[in-house]
Amino acid sequence: MTISFRAGALSLAVSAALLSTPAFADGSKLDEVIARGHLILGTGSTNAPWHFKSAEDKLQGFDVDMGRIVAKALFGDPDKIEYVNQSSDARIPNITTDKVDITCQFMTVTGERAQQIAFTIPYYREGVGLMLKADGQYADYAALKAAGSSVTISVLQNVYAEDMVHAALPDAAVDQYESVDLIYQALESGRADAVATDQSSLAWYMTQNPGRYKDAGYGWNPQTYACGVKRGDQDWLNFVNTALHEAMTGVEFDFYATSFKTWFGKELTPPQIGFPVEFK
Amino acid sequence: MSSFAFLEQLWIARYVILTGLGTTVSISLLAIVAGSLAGVLVGLALVYGGRVLRLVVRAYTDIVRGTPVLVLVLASYYVSAAAGVDLGPFSAGILALAVFCSSHIGEIVRGALQAIPKGQTEAAKAIGLTFGQTFTSVLWPQALRQCLPAWVNTAAEMVKASTLLSVIGVAELLLRTQEIISRNFMSLQFYFLAGALYFIVNFGIERLGKYVERKTALPS
Amino acid sequence: MGYTLNFAAVWRSFDLLLSGLALSLGLAVVSIFIGAAIGLAVAFALTSKSRLAGVPARLYVTVIRNLPILVLVLFAYFALPQMGFRLGKIESFVLVLSLYSGAYLAEVFRAGLLSIPRGLTEAGLAIGLTPMQIRGSIIAPLMLRNVLPSLSSTVISLFKDTSLAAAIAVPELTFAARKINVESFRVIETWMVTSALYVATCFLIAALLRQVERRLALPR
Repeated sequence: MTISFRAGALSLAVSAALLSTPAFADGSKLDEVIARGHLILGTGSTNAPWHFKSAEDKLQGFDVDMGRIVAKALFGDPDKIEYVNQSSDARIPNITTDKVDITCQFMTVTGERAQQIAFTIPYYREGVGLMLKADGQYADYAALKAAGSSVTISVLQNVYAEDMVHAALPDAAVDQYESVDLIYQALESGRADAVATDQSSLAWYMTQNPGRYKDAGYGWNPQTYACGVKRGDQDWLNFVNTALHEAMTGVEFDFYATSFKTWFGKELTPPQIGFPVEFK
Repeated sequence: MSSFAFLEQLWIARYVILTGLGTTVSISLLAIVAGSLAGVLVGLALVYGGRVLRLVVRAYTDIVRGTPVLVLVLASYYVSAAAGVDLGPFSAGILALAVFCSSHIGEIVRGALQAIPKGQTEAAKAIGLTFGQTFTSVLWPQALRQCLPAWVNTAAEMVKASTLLSVIGVAELLLRTQEIISRNFMSLQFYFLAGALYFIVNFGIERLGKYVERKTALPS
Repeated sequence: MGYTLNFAAVWRSFDLLLSGLALSLGLAVVSIFIGAAIGLAVAFALTSKSRLAGVPARLYVTVIRNLPILVLVLFAYFALPQMGFRLGKIESFVLVLSLYSGAYLAEVFRAGLLSIPRGLTEAGLAIGLTPMQIRGSIIAPLMLRNVLPSLSSTVISLFKDTSLAAAIAVPELTFAARKINVESFRVIETWMVTSALYVATCFLIAALLRQVERRLALPR
């Protein structure tokens, strides 16, 4: 159901304003970005290893590197980026209101979201894992499952977070938190018996805190991460897709593979030479 | 061991924390100044405005005061963006806080002006003062003194409300703290550090308010 | 290519918002009642001549009022269990909001107590009441009636503070809104509906308190 503009003063203001935003009349966002000389990338600053600040206060992480790949394709220089720091809530509004050219911020692709923005090709396939305290009450996934409704799982607020946990632990209680540090805090303070979140984040956290935690040894719930751009600009979408595609299969593979190794600790095998890997 | 690690992390993050604190203080200061100026106008409109103006301003204050500040912040950022006025997160955040502040100050000013006995206005009229003169030399000085404690409270509230600007990406103290925590995962230590810094800022405001209150008190 | 508002996702999850609102109200009512009891005791301590009562009371009010409530919420939920004091998430939030309300209401009540003429206490003593009886049956009721007009903005801001419970996964109104946001990404629409619910509730609270005020007013 679409509400018309009579839905109250605020809605009138918001929608009138949103509609008056000029869609780039002649030419694509691509030309606009090239003319400007730098890319405006929306991402967060509080989730390792995706987007977070180094000790020198520099933004880094796998999402950030995806933006750098696009900047390199545009200007031959991965550093020509102006970052817009945004919370998870702001990811889609910042695209639709033209605050950013592109957002790369561990955004799970869903049908409902794809109606509002255009997703690029995927750059990572995430799955969920469970992390326990090394000296905790439960040994592994089987022990958690056997304990039924007496376990509490902390998760990041996300699409279908509750269903996601229940797919693995049907009876567990689920507590949803707004930020990653709080789900770990919940485990640390005994508010939760296990953390369920992205395997990449868990792996990072366990490397940072060696010996204190362990993986419960169960993974599930595949989800695709992709960048997002504004709908209706096929030219710009094509460009970004090309840049990401060539980073995963072509000339910029080393850039992608180095980043992958830095943030996920795994070596990638280079794409096979010969018949294009996409059509196998 | 763990307290040593905390000190080490604190040392690494010292400039980040200080710039965050600086941003928090400047946001709050700008919002309080702008909000207070607007708030005085709101208060005057509520007391001396005509029927229509009063009604409009009353609706403004009631709606703003009933809305969570977070919502004001989001609205200010996105509505301004789409309206073609491209406010950055910093300006949009200050706008939202100033609007919130103005509604509270407006109420405080209204209360203070209305608490002054009518007799004084009548007496001023009797000795031949114009309304302008009555206001500036009789009513306003008294109202100002009356406002002071509540105004200080509002100022402290604004400092606390500035934390919500982290949502639109303003690098104030809370967002800076969260960035540090996402790197070293020392949540409690750094949240308490942030808490202590907010406390110091607000305690300073409170002491300053008390000082001004004493200075301007009528001799009794 | 414009942005079209689409409320479908919000209406689909409207029940979630309503049950969130109910929980917000419940948290606010319980905490404010406990806070009022704390506030009354603290207000008497603040106005008493005894330093033994006055100093801790002043300390309590100063510390609580100058800390961001988010820090207190996180402390009670995450740090207290590590010190061996464990409450459920709702209980620990109610504890914090009660202490918070207590500090704010203490200030309101203190102002009310100061406005009560000393003669009443003396008259009470003269007819043989104990100091406790005088406080309970003469001063407190009079004071409550006096402070009612200034109570409403404190109560409203305490109600809005329940939104902080979202940080520790209490499914109140803001939590529900964020949940709908992450599921549908209809952020603007969700916050519009949510803020309308907050504003409407605040209006109702204000109207209710005005009604109470009118009921309790002395006949003129």
